[in-house]
Amino acid sequence: MDSALATLLATKLGERLLLPVRQRFDETEIRVSIAHATETLRILHDDPMLEFEMLIDLCGVDTGEEMQVVYHLSSSRSSDWLRLIVPGLERNAPRIASATSIWPGAEWMEREAYDMFGIIFEGNRDLRRIYMPDDYRSFPLRKDFYLADDASRSPAAGVRNMERAGTPQDATPATALRRTTGA
Amino acid sequence: MAINDPRPNENLPAVTPERSVRTPLIVPNTLYTTDDARAYGGIPLEEHPNLELARYAATGDGRVDDARWSGALAAIPTKADVVLDLIRANSLWPLLSGLACCAIEMMSTATPKNDIDRWGMFPFRASPRQADVLIVAGTLTTKMAEPLIRLWEQMPEPKWVVAMGDCTCSGGRYKRSYSVVQGIDRVMPVDVYIPGCPPRPEGLIYGMMKLQQLVKDRRGHWNERAIGPTAPEGI
Amino acid sequence: MPQQTRPSLDDPRISIPAGSEWYEPAPTPQTERQAEFLTLKDGEMFVNMGPQHPSTHGVLRVVIKIDGEKVVDLDPVLGYLHRGVEKLCENADYHQAICYTDPLEYVSSLFCEAAPVAAFEKLMEVDVPRRAQYIRVLTMELNRIASHTLFQGWMALDLGGLTPILWSFIERDEIVDMLAALTGQKLLYNYYRIGGVNGDLNHEFMSRLGTWMSRAAAQIDSNLGLINENELFVRRTRGLGVLDAKTALRMGVTGPNLRSTGVPYDLRRDRPYLVYPELEFDIPTRTEGDSLARYLVRIDEIKQSIRIIDQVLHEMPDGPVMAKLPRLIRPRPGRAFGAVEGPRGVYGTYAISDGTDQPFRMRIHDPSFVHLQLVGPLTRGNLIADTMAVMASLDPVMGGVDK
Repeated sequence: MDSALATLLATKLGERLLLPVRQRFDETEIRVSIAHATETLRILHDDPMLEFEMLIDLCGVDTGEEMQVVYHLSSSRSSDWLRLIVPGLERNAPRIASATSIWPGAEWMEREAYDMFGIIFEGNRDLRRIYMPDDYRSFPLRKDFYLADDASRSPAAGVRNMERAGTPQDATPATALRRTTGA
Repeated sequence: MAINDPRPNENLPAVTPERSVRTPLIVPNTLYTTDDARAYGGIPLEEHPNLELARYAATGDGRVDDARWSGALAAIPTKADVVLDLIRANSLWPLLSGLACCAIEMMSTATPKNDIDRWGMFPFRASPRQADVLIVAGTLTTKMAEPLIRLWEQMPEPKWVVAMGDCTCSGGRYKRSYSVVQGIDRVMPVDVYIPGCPPRPEGLIYGMMKLQQLVKDRRGHWNERAIGPTAPEGI
Repeated sequence: MPQQTRPSLDDPRISIPAGSEWYEPAPTPQTERQAEFLTLKDGEMFVNMGPQHPSTHGVLRVVIKIDGEKVVDLDPVLGYLHRGVEKLCENADYHQAICYTDPLEYVSSLFCEAAPVAAFEKLMEVDVPRRAQYIRVLTMELNRIASHTLFQGWMALDLGGLTPILWSFIERDEIVDMLAALTGQKLLYNYYRIGGVNGDLNHEFMSRLGTWMSRAAAQIDSNLGLINENELFVRRTRGLGVLDAKTALRMGVTGPNLRSTGVPYDLRRDRPYLVYPELEFDIPTRTEGDSLARYLVRIDEIKQSIRIIDQVLHEMPDGPVMAKLPRLIRPRPGRAFGAVEGPRGVYGTYAISDGTDQPFRMRIHDPSFVHLQLVGPLTRGNLIADTMAVMASLDPVMGGVDK
């Protein structure tokens, strides 16, 4: 936990941060809005006291109400991972500026976020599908894309419909809980 | 005749100086198929006297082993049958079609510790035209299904298909995935299923030995196998 | 609209969807970069190295634009092994999610388990017992050696040498049989659990490990003599695909590919995890940045891994191998990022928990995915055969690339 980093980020980024810097174990997390995302990344990359020159990961997150883009950065000056969350992308038209102007290697990671969520990265010169075929029409990792067999229930909730042996729906608890041995 | 033919081939787009290779030169498929009217001496294939294609297509004789007796005599096993089957079974050349993790175990089967060369299967051919057996090793995704079917279609008869690993048998651990074909028997006929995730090289060898036994037992009727999942109703 | 099909050319009982014809018309470009790639100048043409090819990296399709024998541009097409692991993990338990991550980088699958397990342990705020940490380091280093040995064989195979791959597989089979005696599985080990490992070391594993350690270094050196000093190999890889440190950092490169350009970034040293702070080992770094440097860095790492294993075996403490955890893993809502230094680079997992027993989002960051972007820029101006040399030296594993 690098507390010096927290104060440094607060001073450098100031009012761009939506929430105070959060730290847990060896991760530092900050949130900025969509409008400030690119300049925040540029400050993090270029500032000689921060020097976050490595982009470790870029991914999209669908929270159900909104979408987020999450960047993980690493610097040789700090022992913490830095997580930059950009919340507030609309679920039905998510757009954000691309990070490829700072890190050209983000191109494919943004392509993957587009392919899986539909997030448009403005400035990415090659924003097309990367995993799914070119004529695929859905965005698989969205929360309203359901896998087959209605697989959104937890395994802890009980036997799923496809696998349930013929127990009648209105069985009394004593019958339903009886386990057949071996058969 | 076609080599010294001075007539220009009208199937190709005209190459004019201002267009010279600025647009991709796409060679349409008709050039190298029998749609080209100048192939086979100008005679359409269906009417060609030497090839008898119409008769083969109608009777199904083209897909039966010519070296064997047909009809009622097929019941009599001969020494020629045995020799042909031995030759085919002991020299099954697989096609290099390792897709995922099972490919590593397939390569491990090919390497000295579990040497599949003992059964004559070491040459993993890169070209489907030279391969006998398609060992599908690894998860088949919907994007890869089309190339894999093309590969299988390009293999000449007699050919066999081995489904190696759980993902090819039934979709395996990716049973609910949106992009995995739930078993390759949904797209091509399979002769031997080898379950496992991944199957040990010994398991693959056992499966290939079963295939050898199949080749010898079928006595030339290599295309007589069930297509599609053969699980009974209600499963 | 009913899908049109045609009967298969080989078996009329099978129907193939129409449209899978033998050639593809030139695609219409959808993006700026694709338009740039698809415009041909005088004398250029496309060659398709299709998803099935003799190179053993997996199903990767590369469309190369060539001018004679020289590569002008390159467009990798991925997705032929995309299995939807991230989506499947969202619909599975935490334990099941670890099982799904095994086949991603299948040659180094213990690293693929270590990263999500580290992230989940942060979410559950559970400490791993010391003995389990040592066992994890031991098994990870063994897996690293197996992966690098395989890399060595594949690199030689892609350049045309057929012998080293056989020798590599002998080495790798020995290590993998050792790990099979420990974990029960040969390739997809499924050994790490949240809070520890699944089962302590056993006699079979220790005896095989002892036998292997006694001749590991000598055996690897003798294997190397076949390749390192081979003039063909050296002349083909020296100066090929030179990557400089600044470009590497901007492209998001990590692992041995970054260390071969001169940046000594290794998670085991810079963000130590498990018991690495207590172990003594060097980080091999080179400055040339060409394919030969990438190859030699990995060879040196094998030697360092043997050194680590030696120390681990001497210092392994007794104790439990699994922390006490409830049977149903239900962490508090939160986010965690766990990363390990895999044989290909930083392998990371970003896990979001929403308080239920299923992860809300499990993002897997695979280093090979990022490295494949380099194949185009590094091969520009070289010959077609150098494409495979460059790709082999970057060591991608398509299972991880395609998730």
